[in-house]
Amino acid sequence: MGQPMLSAVFAIAIAAFLAPMLSAKLDDRAGWLLALAPMGAFLWFVSCIPLVAGGDVVTESIAWVPALGIEVAMRLDGLSLLFALLITGIGALIVLYAGAYLSDHHHLGRFYAYLLVFMMAMLGLVLADDLIAMFVFWELTSVASFLLIAFQHEKSVSRRAALQALLITAGGGLALLAGLLLLGIAGEGWRFSDLDVAAVESHASYYAIMVLVLLGCFTKSAQVPFHLWLPNAMNAPTPVSAYLHSATMVKAGVYLLARLNPTMGGEMGWSTVLVVVGASTAVVGAVLAIRQTDLKRLLAYTTVTVLGQLTMLIGTNTTYGLQAFVLYLLAHSLYKGALFMAVGAVDHATGTRELAKLGGLIRLMPLTGGAVALAAFSNAGLPPFFGFIAKEFAYAGLIEMGITGWIVTAVMIVTNALLLAAAGLVFIRTFLGPRGHYPREPHEVSVPMWLGPMLLAIGGLVLGAWHHLPETWLVNAAVQVVARGTVDVNLYLWGGVTPAVIASLLTVSLGVFFYTFRHHVRRHIARWRVLWGVSGDLVWDRSLKKLFRFAGMLASNWQHGSLRLHLTLLSLVLSSAVFLALAAGGENLLVGGEYTPLSVPAVVGCLLALVGAGAAAVMRGRLALVAALGASGLGLALFFLSANAPDVATTQLMVETLTVVFLALVLRGMPAIPGVSAEGRLSRASHILVSLFFGLSVAVALLVAVNLPLAGNIASWYMENSYPGGHGGNVVNVILVDFRAFDTLGEIVVVALAGLAAATLLGGGRMTAMTRHGEPEFDSVLLRQGLRPLAGLLVLVSLVLLWRGHNLPGGGFIGGLVAATGFILVVMTFGNRFARALMWTRPTFLVGIGLGCAVGAGIIGLLAGEAFLTGLWIFPLGLPLGTPLLFDIGVFLTVFGSVMHMMQRLAGRVA
Amino acid sequence: MELLAALTAGGLAGIGMWLLLDRNLIRVVLGVAILGNAINLGVLTAGRFAGDEAAFVTATTVPADPANPLPQALVLTAIVIGFGLFAFALAVLKSVRESHGITTTDSVTEVTEEPAPDVDEPGFPSGQDDEDRVHARGRKG
Repeated sequence: MGQPMLSAVFAIAIAAFLAPMLSAKLDDRAGWLLALAPMGAFLWFVSCIPLVAGGDVVTESIAWVPALGIEVAMRLDGLSLLFALLITGIGALIVLYAGAYLSDHHHLGRFYAYLLVFMMAMLGLVLADDLIAMFVFWELTSVASFLLIAFQHEKSVSRRAALQALLITAGGGLALLAGLLLLGIAGEGWRFSDLDVAAVESHASYYAIMVLVLLGCFTKSAQVPFHLWLPNAMNAPTPVSAYLHSATMVKAGVYLLARLNPTMGGEMGWSTVLVVVGASTAVVGAVLAIRQTDLKRLLAYTTVTVLGQLTMLIGTNTTYGLQAFVLYLLAHSLYKGALFMAVGAVDHATGTRELAKLGGLIRLMPLTGGAVALAAFSNAGLPPFFGFIAKEFAYAGLIEMGITGWIVTAVMIVTNALLLAAAGLVFIRTFLGPRGHYPREPHEVSVPMWLGPMLLAIGGLVLGAWHHLPETWLVNAAVQVVARGTVDVNLYLWGGVTPAVIASLLTVSLGVFFYTFRHHVRRHIARWRVLWGVSGDLVWDRSLKKLFRFAGMLASNWQHGSLRLHLTLLSLVLSSAVFLALAAGGENLLVGGEYTPLSVPAVVGCLLALVGAGAAAVMRGRLALVAALGASGLGLALFFLSANAPDVATTQLMVETLTVVFLALVLRGMPAIPGVSAEGRLSRASHILVSLFFGLSVAVALLVAVNLPLAGNIASWYMENSYPGGHGGNVVNVILVDFRAFDTLGEIVVVALAGLAAATLLGGGRMTAMTRHGEPEFDSVLLRQGLRPLAGLLVLVSLVLLWRGHNLPGGGFIGGLVAATGFILVVMTFGNRFARALMWTRPTFLVGIGLGCAVGAGIIGLLAGEAFLTGLWIFPLGLPLGTPLLFDIGVFLTVFGSVMHMMQRLAGRVA
Repeated sequence: MELLAALTAGGLAGIGMWLLLDRNLIRVVLGVAILGNAINLGVLTAGRFAGDEAAFVTATTVPADPANPLPQALVLTAIVIGFGLFAFALAVLKSVRESHGITTTDSVTEVTEEPAPDVDEPGFPSGQDDEDRVHARGRKG
C-alpha cells in the first residue's frame, strides 16, 4: 500500500465493521483476531521509529473536499509517532483484555466495534495534519466515547455520565471548530505544518483563537472546571476507562496543546494560562483522589491530576519542562493503563473495588499483583522507574521558570506526594496486609487480563532503567515538535544533588507521611464539607435541569401546536415584509405600469369570484357552500377566458366541476358547520384584521410587480419557436409537453402521488369494498337513460381534446379532466363496478401507464442521441406523430387515473 | 385589467386566509382551495394581460400581439396540482372526522399529539455512587 498511515486508520475501521459478525461467530476469541489490526499498525509505526528519530517526517494525503481545498493530510512526526504507538499498542492489549473482561456480555461484538471506532478516530486525530480532518476525528472520538461510556445503557448513571461527557467535550469541540477556522485564516494555511507563526501572533484574532482552542483542549482533557466528566466516565466498563484515561481520549486535548505550542506558545499569555489551569487541575485532582475509597475512582482522580501536570508542563516551555512533558506522557500512559486493567482484574476476581474489603491479594493473584507493584512504583515516581525520570524532569523544568516555578513546585510536591500515597493505596492496601473480605473467592485471572498490565508495567521499568533507549528513539523527536526551537535531550536517572532531587526526596517523604497518616488526612479534607456541598456535579445537574426547563418552555411557547396561531404569525410576518419593502421602496413603486383596458366579462368574472368566495366563507348550509365555491371558480374561469387564456379557463372549469363533486361527496358525511359568530368577538376581529392585512399585501405585491417593466422577451421566443420547434400551434400546450416537459413530468408525478395518498387516506374499512362492488349513488332509470349518452360524449370529447390539444385548445390535462368528469357520471349512476368494467383496469394501473408513457417519451429522445424529453416527430400519411404526443397521452392517463382512483373511494354506496 | 386582477387576487387571498384561520376544519379546507385560486390568479397577473388574442400560431403566421403563454402554462398545471392538494386535504378531513370524530383544528392537535415517551424525570443521581458491577451477577470466575 502506498499510503500506510491511511491504511492503518482504514484497517482499524474495517476491524470495527467486522467486529459484530466475528464476535457472534467466535465469542471472546474474536478479540485475538481483531487485535491484529491495531497490532499490525503498531508494528508499522515501530518500523518508522528510526526514520522519525532521524528527524524525518512521513507524509501522505488524499483529496477529500477538493473544492474547499480540504484534504486528509497525514503527517507522522515525533509527537504523532509517540501517540500512534501508544494508541495502537495499548489499543491492541485493550482489545484482548476486553474480550476476557466482558466475555459473557451479550453485546461484546458491539463493544468491540465501538472500541475500534474510537481507536480509529484517535489514531486519525494524532496523524492528521489538516486542521479540518483533525477536527472531524476529534468529534468522532467524542461520539465514540459517548457510546463506550454509555455501553451499560440500562444503568441511569452510565447514561448520565455519557451525556455529561458528550455535552462537555462536544461543547468544547464547537469552540475548537471556531478556533481552528480562525487559526487557519490567521495562519494562512490549513495544515499544522503550514501555519505561519508570525502571522498568527500578529493577527487581530489571536486571543480569540487562543480562548477557543483552549476551551476545546481543556474540555477534552478534563481541566478544571471541566474535569467533572472524567471521574463519572468511570461508569464505563473497565477496558474503556483503561483506554480512555491512559493513552487516548483525555490525552487528545493535551496532544493538541502540544501540537499548537510552537504556533501559539509565544509570549502572549498562552504559557501562563496553561500553567495556572494545569496547576489548579493537578491540585483539585490530587485532593479529590485521596478521598476516594473506590479503586477506580481513585485512579480517575489521579488521571485528572496528571492531565493538569501535563498541561502545566507544556506551559513551562522550558527545556526540562518539555522533556518532562513527553516523558510524563509516556510514563503515565504505561502505568495508568496497567493500573486500570489490573484494577479491573481485581474487581473481576473479587467482585469488589472497595479498599476496605480488599487486602492480601498478592498470594492469590501474583501476576496481577506484580504488574500493579511495578506500575505503582512508576506512578509513585520511585527510581529506577520511568515515572521517576519524568518527575525529576518536571521539577527541573518548573525550577527553571524562576519564582513562579518555585511556588508551583511547592504545589507539585504536595500533589505528587498525594499521588504517591494513592499509588500506595492501590498496591499496599490491595495486595499486601491481611486477607480482605471479598464477596467472591478470588483467583488469578486469565492470560489476556494479566498480559496487558504486565507488559505495560514492565515497559515502565525497562524505559526507566535503560533510559537511553527512549531518549534516542522517541523522546528526542517528540520534544523537538513540541518546542519552539531545538531542545537538547539528555535523560538521566542521577544527575547529582540538584534542586530537583531534593524536591523528589521531599515528595517521597511527604508521600510516605500522607500514606501512613491517610486517615487523618482524609478526616482533615472531609472537614471542608462546605466545599463538597458545592461540588461541580450538583451545579451541573441543576443547570442541566434548568436548561431543560428553559428549552421546554421555549419549545412549548413556539411549537404550541395551534394551527391558527402559526398561520397568524406566518401571514403577519409575510405581509409585514411586503409593507416594509414598500415603505423602503417609496410610493412610486405603485405607479408607472401600463394597464390593459377592462372588459365586461373580466369584471363580471372577478365579481363572481369574490362574491362566491365571500359567500362560501360565511355560509353555514353545506349545499349552499358548495354552490358558492363553485360559482367563485366559475367566475375565475370567466376571467381567464377574457384574459385570452382559453386553456387555463377550460382547466379551471373542469377542476371546479370536480371540486364541487368531491366537496359535495365529502361534506354529506360531515356535521353542520357552526356559524361564524360562534367564535369569540375578539378572535373574530383579530382574524379579520390579519386576513385583511394579508389580502392587502398580496394585492400590493402584485401591483408592484405589474408596474415594473416585464423583463426579457421569453414569451416572444416561445411564440416564434412553437411551430418550427414543436410542431404545434397551441403555444401553451407546446410549452407543457415539449419546451418545459421536464417540469410537467414532475407535476404529473405530484398529481399521481397526491391521488394515491388521498385515496389511501380515504380507503379505510368499508370503502375498500366500495371500490370494487360500489352500487350507484342515484338508482334512477331516468338518470341512467339521460346520462349514458352524455357520459359517452364526454369521454369522446376528451379524446378529441387530447388529440387536437397540440394545435387548438385542449391537451392532456384538459382531456384527462373531461374524461374523469364523464366517468364520474358513470360512477354516480351505474356504480363503481360498472365503471371499473368500462375502464378495463384499475385506475392505479392507468396512473402507472401514464407515468410510463411520459418517461418513455423522454427516453426515446435519449435513445435518439438527444437530451431527455427532446421532441421527435414522424409524419406517416401526413399525420403528425411525435414523442410530445406520447407525453401528452401520459399526462392524460395520469390525471384521469388519479382522479378516478380518488373518486372510487368517495362515490357510491356499499352494496 | 391588471389592477382588477391584483385586487381580486388580494381579495381572494384575504378570504382564503380568513377561512384558514377558522376553527372548523371544513372551512380550513375551503381556505386551501380559495387561497390556491388567489395564487393562480396572481401568477397569471404577474405575466401581464397584454395582447389581444390567445397564444396560438399556425405554420405560417405568428400573431402580432399575443397573450403571454408562459404564465398560462404554469398556471394550468398549478390548477391541476392545486386540485390534487385540495383532494388530499379533503381526504385528511374525512379521515380525521372518521377516526377522531372531530372537525376543529385545535382539538385535532390535542388528539394527535400524544405526550412524548420520556424515559424518566431528569432527577439524575449525584454521580458519587458508582455502581459498576456488570459481572457481579451470575458469574463465578
